[in-house]
Amino acid sequence: MTPSALANLIDALRVLPGVGPKSAARMAYHLLQRDRSGAARLAQAMGMALEKLRPCERCNSYSETPVCDLCASPKRDPRLLCVVEMPVDMNRMEETHAYPGLYFVLMGRLSPLDGLGPREIGLERLLKRARDGVTEEIILATNFTVEGEATAHYIGERLKAQGLKVSRIARGLPAGGELEHVDAMTVAQAYMDRRPA
Amino acid sequence: MADKVDNEVAFILHTRPWRESSLIVEAFTRHRGRISLVARGARRPMSSLKSRLLAFQPLLLSWFGKGAVRTLHDSEWQGGRLWLKGEALMCGFYLNELLLKLLPAEDPHEVLFDHYAGALETLGAGSEPEPVLRRFELALLSELGYAHTLDRTEQGQPVDPGERYGFVPDRGVVSPGHGSTVLGKTLLDMMAGDFDDPCTLVECKQLMRGLINHYLQDRPLLTRQLLIELQGIEPMNL
Ligand SMILES: [Zn+2]
Repeated sequence: MTPSALANLIDALRVLPGVGPKSAARMAYHLLQRDRSGAARLAQAMGMALEKLRPCERCNSYSETPVCDLCASPKRDPRLLCVVEMPVDMNRMEETHAYPGLYFVLMGRLSPLDGLGPREIGLERLLKRARDGVTEEIILATNFTVEGEATAHYIGERLKAQGLKVSRIARGLPAGGELEHVDAMTVAQAYMDRRPA
Repeated sequence: MADKVDNEVAFILHTRPWRESSLIVEAFTRHRGRISLVARGARRPMSSLKSRLLAFQPLLLSWFGKGAVRTLHDSEWQGGRLWLKGEALMCGFYLNELLLKLLPAEDPHEVLFDHYAGALETLGAGSEPEPVLRRFELALLSELGYAHTLDRTEQGQPVDPGERYGFVPDRGVVSPGHGSTVLGKTLLDMMAGDFDDPCTLVECKQLMRGLINHYLQDRPLLTRQLLIELQGIEPMNL
């Protein structure tokens, strides 16, 4: 019979996405048999993260302070607000060093068929954030999936109703892309989203 | 015998994550109806399959295996101009939810498939969504075997456009005071697929909502709920 502490651990590991009972058991045995110090570090890091990280009051991403470093930075242009689905999307945008403004992280997307609605993406918080009197343009950088498009549409409509300028990131050929080697759907999107030259 | 299907005409209705890196794909195919497929590894960063599994796009799907373990290995976009935006996009989600909840799996419905493709095309072209949704709902119920006689009462009397009637699921047009109330003209317009009259649209929406709720056995429609939450009011079209 499995001791209850072990059964508890296996059960707890199953909260991770994509981890079923078998992988959870494998992970538990690995941590206990082969990497006890790693297990201790994991437990500690988990405790610290849960205790210290809260949503930033301004961008909704994780922060150890009420307002995160990025939002508090005087170097950023507060007139621009970029809306992304997840923190990884914000990191990606930051890697470009091309965007000087601030962010709002939805922590999700509208997904009608999964029952994910405006409450799940903090829509009211975003609308309030955008009304700070400084924000001039909102850049919608949600994904180009059908859910990301629906999210961009509804957020955009609500923000426009508040009198804000709203733009959507462009889609089309990748940098350095050649028509010959790009898939047909991307080429079609590039054609449809063409702009005056 | 292992099943191998190449280039089946299909639309994706919904995808959801499965295990660490795969997707379960709910597809509406022209010749095999609604089926579930597994797109293995489609959520890996290097996979190009996921971006070719967009809903509302005419696709050619290829898979092998049968029953619950069908593996999707290719999806080819057929081209065209079906790009749903804004309100039309939400209507598309609604059609998909109806198919996911009402259409039994593994049951071919070619006529309905063509209706669906036509509805997406009309929505994509920027037409008024409401008549498109009503026509699709009527086609769906009729394909599922839930068609109602609209021009005659349960007793076989012809429907008079100027009279008011009652309408009861599975029975159809009855004398007023039973089920929902509807004008004779609305019933005749619905039968003719004529939605030019705004009163017809209003009454037809009420009638279809009642019917669809009846066949959903009161399971909620998430797309409708989402629109109510987003708009804070009754959704215009659904
Ligand atoms: Zn912040």
